Amino acid sequence: MLDKAPPKNRERTQTLTSGDLGLPKPEPLLRISALSVDYNAAGGNVVHALRNLDLAIAEGETVGVLGESGSGKSSLALALLRLLPKNARVDSGSIEYRGQSVLGFSPARLRDMRGAEVALISQEPALALNPVLSLGKQLADLLLAHGKLTRLEVSARCSEMLRQVGFDDPERILRAYPHELSGGQRQRVAIAQALICRPNLLIADEPLSALDVATQAEIIDLLQRLKRDLGLAILFITHSAGALASLADNIVVMREGEAVARGTIAKLQANQDDYVQRILFPEKSLAQAAHTASTIESGAPLLDVRGLSKRFVQKRMLSRKEFVVQSLDGINLALLPGSTVAVLGRSGSGKSTLARCLAGFETPDAGEILLDGKPAANDKGGRPPVQMIFQDAATSLNPRFTARQIVAEPLEIARWKTDADRTVRAVKLMEEVGLDPDWAARLAGEFSGGQRQRLALARALAAEPRLLVMDEALSGLDMPLQAQMVRLLMDLQSRHGLTYLYISHDLNFISLFAQEVVIMDSGRIVERTTPAKLGESTHPATRELVEAGERLHAPGVEAAV
Amino acid sequence: MIRYLARRAGHGLLMLFGVSILLFLLFQAAPGDFLSEMKMNSQISPETITMLRAQYGLDQPLPERYWRWLKSSARGDFGYSFAYNTPASTLLWPRARNTLLLSVPALLISWLIAVPLGVLAAGWKGRWADRLFSGGTSALLALPDVLIALLALLVALKTGMFPVGGMTSINAQDQGTWAWLRDLGWHMVLPVAALVVGSLTIILRHVRASVIEVLESSYMRAAEGHGLPRFKLLFGYALPAAANPLISLFGLSVAMLLSVSLLIEVVMSWPGIGPLLLESILARDLFVVIGAVMLSTVFLIAGNLLGDVLLYAFDPRIRRQA
Repeated sequence: MLDKAPPKNRERTQTLTSGDLGLPKPEPLLRISALSVDYNAAGGNVVHALRNLDLAIAEGETVGVLGESGSGKSSLALALLRLLPKNARVDSGSIEYRGQSVLGFSPARLRDMRGAEVALISQEPALALNPVLSLGKQLADLLLAHGKLTRLEVSARCSEMLRQVGFDDPERILRAYPHELSGGQRQRVAIAQALICRPNLLIADEPLSALDVATQAEIIDLLQRLKRDLGLAILFITHSAGALASLADNIVVMREGEAVARGTIAKLQANQDDYVQRILFPEKSLAQAAHTASTIESGAPLLDVRGLSKRFVQKRMLSRKEFVVQSLDGINLALLPGSTVAVLGRSGSGKSTLARCLAGFETPDAGEILLDGKPAANDKGGRPPVQMIFQDAATSLNPRFTARQIVAEPLEIARWKTDADRTVRAVKLMEEVGLDPDWAARLAGEFSGGQRQRLALARALAAEPRLLVMDEALSGLDMPLQAQMVRLLMDLQSRHGLTYLYISHDLNFISLFAQEVVIMDSGRIVERTTPAKLGESTHPATRELVEAGERLHAPGVEAAV
Repeated sequence: MIRYLARRAGHGLLMLFGVSILLFLLFQAAPGDFLSEMKMNSQISPETITMLRAQYGLDQPLPERYWRWLKSSARGDFGYSFAYNTPASTLLWPRARNTLLLSVPALLISWLIAVPLGVLAAGWKGRWADRLFSGGTSALLALPDVLIALLALLVALKTGMFPVGGMTSINAQDQGTWAWLRDLGWHMVLPVAALVVGSLTIILRHVRASVIEVLESSYMRAAEGHGLPRFKLLFGYALPAAANPLISLFGLSVAMLLSVSLLIEVVMSWPGIGPLLLESILARDLFVVIGAVMLSTVFLIAGNLLGDVLLYAFDPRIRRQA
């Protein structure tokens, strides 16, 4: 990170005047100069979230901030509203809103600004709404906090705002509670909340990441319309270049708290910097790595699944009704050693149950699972040959364990050698998955999302498994990180002769990664094909996945690739 | 809602059955009965004792006795007190009323103090006010309830401002309703205070902990980012979201308070269920013990049922499931 050249282009003035509204004042709406934010992590470590960041937003302008996770984007959003957590502090620099220093605001002035002048849509809209208060109250409270309105005026404004964000029946939404709405609807309510006091600037921190593709497009359309209608300035923070292509006037690319490039999307696409290219075109960087993918050995399968069935019966107390869910229905599957098979399916198609059966968390009702021709279930004790990596690394790692403890735990359970040997091995494994061995004493909670997934991978490798079952192991990561992980996985596969069963609901990287694709629907395998032939499939379940995958490719990125 | 409550009430009824059966079995297992001591008395002939035994129904087998008790309970009559020679219910009802007279105000007062203080402490987390507060509550938590009651008695004795025990002064009844009420209130101050001090700390710590947890959530940060005033954030947004476990605690605190109340009644000679239960256990006065325990169980179930109703009213997510 230190070998990185200092930011070359500091064309602050260039970002100022790009709006074609004809600015009445030379002073921008918001100006950030040389802003640095530090976090005090445990153990006396200081993490620099932002370093010397310059940024300006004019009235009505949309500025995109693009960066992978851990690049300090969210700290920027929080710093602007002075919402940083207690262990963070603004080290140096200034934030000026209409020429006034935000860092010098009194608590009362700060409250006036928050929500009314500068509004925030936070990262996970589904979690940004209070679960026990009605949406009507949560909208109205903003108006009441920022102005003197009668009840009637308030409810009229709320209904009008909800209509503007695309609800046909605002009265129903006002009475509803968050859990009664879908994720996309909650996101729109969160946007309504942010805009109801008519702010001049909207800070949107990854407002799309938790949404499905169709809803993402809807929200982008909505933001574009509101920007036009209300003259709103937007600071749009994201890791996906696709969303910015159609929305942002200017883009700042961030890396490790620094602005490494800035300009319009066209200008950035021409930028030859490695990082900029990687974040704009995550798929492209992977193409070279694909050539090194190992070839499949032929012969006896490592894993042989025959007629596997599992059903769940849900019963209620004092009720005779039973709900039977046939989660797996006669699954046959064979994996050759050293191969990668992808299992694709919608949520609820039974793919996770398959993974859990293979890893031994569930006992199947019928059928057998053979590993090297022997029943897998009998293999108790020692180091299990099947390891599993879960979707959410954050919850699969004990946050109070250090990295070393986490990686060494499987070895400890298997009573492998001495404590010192285990430590050496844990450190080596960390290195192998691309983690700094110096971090062995850090707590799991101090790692970022991508690093945690690597840690989970190192833990799985500790047992020297033959088969790795990855249940949506990459879905929680953003695209550049996914690409990195895929590269790492392919590397490890060729080095250790690992076999992968990769379970997912989307098609990202599948073509580079898997030799065989299995499509599941309602507990059955409905199609077996290769990644190359996925597009030609006529099966409705496959088509649905392929079409969703096509929509997921962001327009800007696709055009450039 | 009605189905949900009916189900909960059904569970409560089942629990009452279970408790009563358990009590009968326990009494059966304990050596002797109310009449055993009479055998020592040479002036009472064995024939009299046999006769009395038949009269009280103690010569019947256990299932028969239980069945009889169940039938009479269904009529609201909980059997007969051997020691006082009156129906158990005439003994129990006034005592139950006296116990409620202590525990209901204590319950309300401790919650009314604990909720705002706990929320404020959570809002001040880490500052000196919160540290002082946490230290104070841990110290209070370490005090046994008996000690609190004894300290209260000491206060009464030293200052002379409060009565040292009982429920009313001897001549209170003669001076008219108003004076009687004032006298009663005066007698209530110390026992209620002892009860509040005993239960307050636990509630306070729970309120503080669950509000702190909510304050760290992303929706609280979002609400702060919307510029809502601090008071509203704490009491209008954090408290309702934190209320769920607290309401369950409310149901439990009824039971907690009741058991503490029995102890304090004995120490401060308040004529509630506590002293009666103690006496009747010592005298093996079967039906009074069973009645007293059953009444406590009823209070407990009522407390939990109240908690369920409140939960239903407060949490829209539960409303939907029910």
